[in-house]
Amino acid sequence: MSTNLAYAQPQPLQTPGQRPSHIEIVTTRAQRKARPRALYAVVTVASMFVILAAQLLLSIVVTQGAYQIDSLQDQQKLLNRTEQNLLESLALQSSSQNLAAQAAGFGMIPNAAPYSLNVANGSVFRLPGSADPTGCGGKCGLVGNTLLTGMPLVSTEVAAAAKAAKATAAAAAATTVASSSTSSGTAASSAAPEAANNAIPAPVTR
Amino acid sequence: MKPRSTRARITFVVFTIVALTAVFMVRLIDLQVVQAEALSAEADTKRTLTRVTYGTRGDIVDTRGAVLADSVERFDIVISPRVTLLRENASVVVLEDLTKITNVIGGDPTALLTTILESPESDFEYLAKGITLEQYQTVVELDIAWLYYELRPERSYPNGEVAGNLVGFIGTDGPQAGLELTKDECLASQDGEASYARGEDGVALPGSSVDILEQKDGGTLKLTIDRDLQFYVQQRMAQTAEALGATWATGVVMRVSDGHLLAVSDWPTVDPNNVNLSDVGDLGSRAFSTPYEPGSTIKALTAASLIDSGSANQRTQVVSPYALELANGGGVISDSFYHADQRLTLAGALVESSNTAIAQYTDLLKASARHDYLQAFGLGEKTGVGFNGESSGTLHDASQWDARTNYAVQFGQGLSATSIQMASAYQTLGNDGVRLPPTLVEGCYWPDGSVTDTPSTDGTRVISKEASEQTLQMMEMVYSSSGSAPNLQIPGYRVAVKSGTAQVAESGGYGDKVVISYAGIAPVDDPEYVVIATAGIPDTIYSGVIASTFRDIMAQTLTTYRVTPSGSSGPDLPLRW
Repeated sequence: MSTNLAYAQPQPLQTPGQRPSHIEIVTTRAQRKARPRALYAVVTVASMFVILAAQLLLSIVVTQGAYQIDSLQDQQKLLNRTEQNLLESLALQSSSQNLAAQAAGFGMIPNAAPYSLNVANGSVFRLPGSADPTGCGGKCGLVGNTLLTGMPLVSTEVAAAAKAAKATAAAAAATTVASSSTSSGTAASSAAPEAANNAIPAPVTR
Repeated sequence: MKPRSTRARITFVVFTIVALTAVFMVRLIDLQVVQAEALSAEADTKRTLTRVTYGTRGDIVDTRGAVLADSVERFDIVISPRVTLLRENASVVVLEDLTKITNVIGGDPTALLTTILESPESDFEYLAKGITLEQYQTVVELDIAWLYYELRPERSYPNGEVAGNLVGFIGTDGPQAGLELTKDECLASQDGEASYARGEDGVALPGSSVDILEQKDGGTLKLTIDRDLQFYVQQRMAQTAEALGATWATGVVMRVSDGHLLAVSDWPTVDPNNVNLSDVGDLGSRAFSTPYEPGSTIKALTAASLIDSGSANQRTQVVSPYALELANGGGVISDSFYHADQRLTLAGALVESSNTAIAQYTDLLKASARHDYLQAFGLGEKTGVGFNGESSGTLHDASQWDARTNYAVQFGQGLSATSIQMASAYQTLGNDGVRLPPTLVEGCYWPDGSVTDTPSTDGTRVISKEASEQTLQMMEMVYSSSGSAPNLQIPGYRVAVKSGTAQVAESGGYGDKVVISYAGIAPVDDPEYVVIATAGIPDTIYSGVIASTFRDIMAQTLTTYRVTPSGSSGPDLPLRW
């Protein structure tokens, strides 16, 4: 085993009062070899600087990370809140009262005579259903929900949208007539089916 | 030898160094050891901030997961009028800002300014309470420096009055009624506390965040209630109550196989979102808390006890007069309408709902045994649901029955029961004579995945399977042969049913006031659901209305759960002899 450490050789104590001798003890080659070399010092100092620099860089990176974490946490909080908000809105939209009101707005009524088909023997069976065609004894909305105050009916919105679409289509048709070009003629005909798709057909059966 | 002065100088320097070192050492030890804790604590308070981390109160959901109660986030806008009014030309600038704010949240800016000006020295005033997320975000974007925001967790009941009487509500002092109150242990959240060190720019220093107390979210309370069915039952019971001019009404749907309550409606109802719209007396659930003398619906239980004990069978014969003088000076009882003497079987006594006939059967079984049967059916004891304000009803000991009560209890007077208790007794008849504890809560589902509050499934046998089947057959004769039969028909299904019209005791006697009800089980060939519709103190005693209400609710239940129609036809028992 070799070692990098330099060992100091024991020196005989010079007794005070003794006059300095003219004879000097010359170090041997082995002793000279054992002394620390400059290289080691350079390496040590350099590595210290490297370590310090690395630490500094690391600290910068970590701090940067902290900012990133902070902003991501803020974002997460906001997203959580938005999610909560949407869930709240969804729960309200899907509440029994809202569904009943929206369905009634579209002119839907409960089936007074539902039938079921028995797949085992192919027989058709009339389910009890409700004897009352309105499904709620002629007086609906007896189960209230104060949160639904001001909830718009989708059916009226759809009707308004359909009306607007119709107006757009009419305007487009007018342009077609004015320009009397063949290309805008196709534009008008493509607008019409779009309006038809948006519009829910009005209930004709009651 | 060195000169003396040199030595003195050296001594002086060494002494000074030693002395200084000693002073520094003492100071060092003082700072690092003696005062270390206090100092670092002081430093922490300067550097670190503590904030409340909010736990979320658990949701209440129905058996299919539809939300009946959930926690929502609202925000308060807080200001310090003292700081707000520090700026130059404050009232003009502030009014400008207030106008911007009220454009978003509504309200009158000048009124808000007045409140600010009224308390110029205050450091804490609410500018607005409970604004929504959208409003909050818009106000934040206005970038008004003197506003602070606080989170305000609130409770929302998206289905309004649907199951409102069961769910209960939360007031400013916490849970006030219903399951919100009794199941608070499951639902309640715990707010936490976290501390963190922050840098000059307000950003949390990396690794400095410490949870002093971790926040805990509440569990999700899952009910046995089916929201859609509940909505239907509430709607139908409300119509019935209005049609009859009743003071109150309850409707209960219970599953026979496990005693789960699928719908429990109370009328008048409460909307937990705004309880101020309701009367204080209507905030709880009458189905649990208000016992009434059930009347003739008890006769089905009487018949079941007689058959189970072997005292009578479906064909046991009596002659039923219109009025009957009771033994031991019990006075005279009579049937609800005048008739000549009828030769009835037990089945016929149920179809005619004859009090005089039932009184005669009553003598076939001794009082203590009859009491024990009624008790085993669940009367006189709380159901075990543990609902807030739940009543046990009244069933006196047989030894306390006087000569009249001895007979009256067997046709449902002189004892009282809640709608839930009656549903539970009928569940026994449908479940081959085994009574299961009524259940309203399926369980508490905790965020960590564990489940508590699961209901007990231990049943108790009350009557034999044969006795329950024979009782249902007799009740089916009511469905097919009684005067109300036309109002009861559900095509394709065999239904066992019994009506009840009970007088209400008031100031020591019975007056004109009654409670009318229909209770039944379907389908008879494989009983699945119990329905009880009850209306209290109606203006008009027309049981046809409540009969059709019972039919509609039962039909809706059978359709909702796609119950297979009955494959067999009903019995044809002799009613007279």
